[in-house]
Amino acid sequence: MSASARILDQFARSKFARSNGSHPIRILGASGQLGYGIPTPAFSAGLDRQPHLIGCDMGSIDIGPYYLGSGEMATAPASTRRDLRKVLLGALKHQIPLVIGSAGSAGARPHLEKTLALVREIARDDGLGFRMAVLRADIDKDVLKAALKTKGVTPIDDMPALDDQDIDAAANIVGQMGMSAFQRALAAGVDVVIAGRACDTAIFAALPAMTGFPVGPAMHMAKIIECASLCCVPGGRDAILATLDHEGFELDSMAPQRYATPVSVAAHSLYEQSDPFTVHEPEGRLDLARATYHAIDNRRTRVVGARWEDAWEHWVKIEGARKIGERAVLLCGTADPKFIAQHDKLLKEVEIVVRDLVCEDTAEDYVLTWRVYGVQGVRMTPAVAQTPPSEAFIMAECIAPTRERAAEVVRTTKQYLLHHGYEGRLSTGGNLAFPFTPPEVSIGPAYRFNIYHLMRTADLAGLFPLEIETL
Amino acid sequence: MKLQDFAQVVRSKNAGPRRFTLDIIFRNDADYRRAAQSEALTPEKIAPLYGVAANTVTVINYPLGRAIKIVIPRKIMSGDPGDRDVYGAQQHTPILELDL
Repeated sequence: MSASARILDQFARSKFARSNGSHPIRILGASGQLGYGIPTPAFSAGLDRQPHLIGCDMGSIDIGPYYLGSGEMATAPASTRRDLRKVLLGALKHQIPLVIGSAGSAGARPHLEKTLALVREIARDDGLGFRMAVLRADIDKDVLKAALKTKGVTPIDDMPALDDQDIDAAANIVGQMGMSAFQRALAAGVDVVIAGRACDTAIFAALPAMTGFPVGPAMHMAKIIECASLCCVPGGRDAILATLDHEGFELDSMAPQRYATPVSVAAHSLYEQSDPFTVHEPEGRLDLARATYHAIDNRRTRVVGARWEDAWEHWVKIEGARKIGERAVLLCGTADPKFIAQHDKLLKEVEIVVRDLVCEDTAEDYVLTWRVYGVQGVRMTPAVAQTPPSEAFIMAECIAPTRERAAEVVRTTKQYLLHHGYEGRLSTGGNLAFPFTPPEVSIGPAYRFNIYHLMRTADLAGLFPLEIETL
Repeated sequence: MKLQDFAQVVRSKNAGPRRFTLDIIFRNDADYRRAAQSEALTPEKIAPLYGVAANTVTVINYPLGRAIKIVIPRKIMSGDPGDRDVYGAQQHTPILELDL
């Protein structure tokens, strides 16, 4: 019997045997970023508590457009493999489902394939046998274009309206699957579910919701434990155990030094959300306006009151990234007070010198951007008046059509910035300090998010197809 | 008193690639109330610090978490050319010295 069939069967029997609903369900939130390391003591302590499911989130849109566009994972293969092996062995040993969402950082086909390759390699090396569900999240360009034609696409947060060119230009397009996709996978009788791009909540809420627990508290629990013990004081990446009953849930960090307090848990509802009271999912809306948080003791909190409303039509969050060129950077520093004082004007002068040279026989086909750390490299806000720093770090970034062109621009920039003459200059040996040479680095392709929209669908199951693989 | 002298947490982070949010969390209810009632934490006061229009800034009081959330549009989308902070995790500093 597969792990999911065993757990589903267990809850079906328990519900039959008890008039007030089944016994509680325990969900272990093992990682909010699988691939960056899962602390073993807390994970083992979590397994000792006999959870019914291990869930791990593996991706996010926060890491920027590069990973979605390029198909690369943000985590290193070796650490990703170590984490995958740890959670796989734990789940198989205890015969409980392992559910992983947003595989490979961005959850598109190449990310999913890289994750699956690691899972197959672990299964082979450790001699493991199991049934695995694979949920794909790639959105077919024709499906998205068809939705566009029927006014079934709407921008999120002031994104420009989408058109067919944007769709064609995207290197990868994914949709965030919700809990119904995971429920199809778990209903198919599997030990492991590996999903492409997914709502982080769906990973943890799907099983409780399909075993008869109220969706509101199940979804609220999922929203909190998808970041492992980040909802605690002090927050951290250790595994967290949630115990859900038919009224609410309890949170218990598996690291003894982390305290899940009513205030720390409530405050976590703010995290990475623009609205602390509402969470939108493809299948409905989570309403936290009446949620309350109560201390069980000094390190455990009980939460009740979340409500769920089913959606009357399904809207899926769509993410896409397109390539915009090749990126190269120049890294250098300066300690010259005269240069720092005039840097704004000097950088503009050098930009013109460089443009006139590299565009002598070619169009101005690149974008050069400066960041002057120590002065204004970090804040997105208007400059604040301040005393000039004693040192500054200068990064010139070029995005050009080709790798060679980007390298040409930053190499030329380096040379003319180094020797740029200006009024009052004393340091005629050079304006810059290079920590090493070459100080120019070719980063590789640059991408931007060109799709961040909602798409209406009448076929959630068709959008996120399920495949079963036996290892 | 300056915000950074009595807030427990002042953090920023993306909320999707086109917004970042500032979460200010306080140690006790008195500190929270002082901040929630302050004229300094209004869209009109915060918007100029970030070079955006006041009607694009949202301030949400969240007493259960002893917290105030401020949602601000990014002028450059996360990861777009010219962006300085892909995760949006270092945009909390302009409000640190607000006098409450």
